[in-house]
Amino acid sequence: MSLTHLNTRGEAHMVDVADKSESQREAIASGHIVMQPATLALLSEGGLPKGDVLATARIAGIQAAKRTHELIPLCHALALSKVAVDFRLDEATSRVLVTATCRLNGRTGVEMEALTAVSVACLTLYDMCKAVDKDMQIGAIRLESKTGGKSGDYRRTADESEAPIVTSECRSGEVSVGLRAAIPCVRVKCLAELRERLGVSDLDVPFDSLDEQNVAGLKAALKARDDRFDQLDDARILCAVNQVMGGDATHLTADDEVAFFPPVTGG
Amino acid sequence: MIRVQHEPFDPGREQEALLRGRHDIGAVVSFTGLVRDFNERPEVEALTLEHYPGMTESALTAIVEEAESRWPLQGVRVIHRVGQLAPGDPIVLVMVASAHRRAAFEACDFIMDYLKTRAPFWKKEHTSSGQYWVSERASDQRDAERWEDS
Repeated sequence: MSLTHLNTRGEAHMVDVADKSESQREAIASGHIVMQPATLALLSEGGLPKGDVLATARIAGIQAAKRTHELIPLCHALALSKVAVDFRLDEATSRVLVTATCRLNGRTGVEMEALTAVSVACLTLYDMCKAVDKDMQIGAIRLESKTGGKSGDYRRTADESEAPIVTSECRSGEVSVGLRAAIPCVRVKCLAELRERLGVSDLDVPFDSLDEQNVAGLKAALKARDDRFDQLDDARILCAVNQVMGGDATHLTADDEVAFFPPVTGG
Repeated sequence: MIRVQHEPFDPGREQEALLRGRHDIGAVVSFTGLVRDFNERPEVEALTLEHYPGMTESALTAIVEEAESRWPLQGVRVIHRVGQLAPGDPIVLVMVASAHRRAAFEACDFIMDYLKTRAPFWKKEHTSSGQYWVSERASDQRDAERWEDS
């Protein structure tokens, strides 16, 4: 393994990509900014003095991806075919999760563009919110996945220390890549208080991992992943399959949506 | 008509819309639920309402259809707000029209009882001493059970 940006004399140089063949490239990067719960609440209500924070940060991230070559010395200027920046507000951990997806039909990877988009989106979130919170912390900026190109596909393996719950290769909600579409999954949602207690809102469970094709089987698969899912056995916790109330014996098929939630308190 | 929305609503305007051009309606009963500034703890400063998009609408539709099968109704409006609310804000509106008052009163009561125990909404209260998810009440469950034998 060698560093491609260094020549045989150890000097920095730009890689000549003219001879590489064009392929469909995609990279997804993620990061987060942790803030005070009150700041997050203001952000979600649109109550911050600088206005619409997420829309501004999204544009900043997209612009940054397009200008990566001006910031990172040995990056090529690329005509990206797609840049998407998404935000998820996570109350349980009081942070905004940022993901960026970049795509290109070309000769070079787009991971630097995705990482730059996430970095600048996080910096913009900091700038937009700093009037009310100076303790915000940006972290975990990293590549989630990369497809296309000679070096082959890359996917970050689930990081147990970072993620509150291991969600295997089928994690959804935060990132989505075409790689996983081939695996039939049951889509699990945890709502309201249960979501906050578990620190999980959406996750996909491979259908093949269920010993029994019903809700009881799904609970067993979830409990095998993390003890915290023992809470699903609490008699108060309700369950809906494809948005219709169900129970342990409710039969499941691949692509079903299963929601777990506490008793309702509307009205 | 069922709506789940962030925006406030105006019960007067909703009633006007429900009655416009109708001369067969003899009674309208409406219930508006408001955010109180005291509940499980005093000094409630705000309320966040979460729902389960898709299922919430279908649960409300099922409740209204059940009411229509029990009473002769001429129009029903259910509006439920979600998102961040402040004390005094309206949360929910149930408006029922019928030829006669008894059906309108009962159906409105029924829809609220079922909405509180069957529609997927969850409240979180923000108070000066912290925030917490509101617990379900046994009395709401008992109220809903009143309709089960009839």
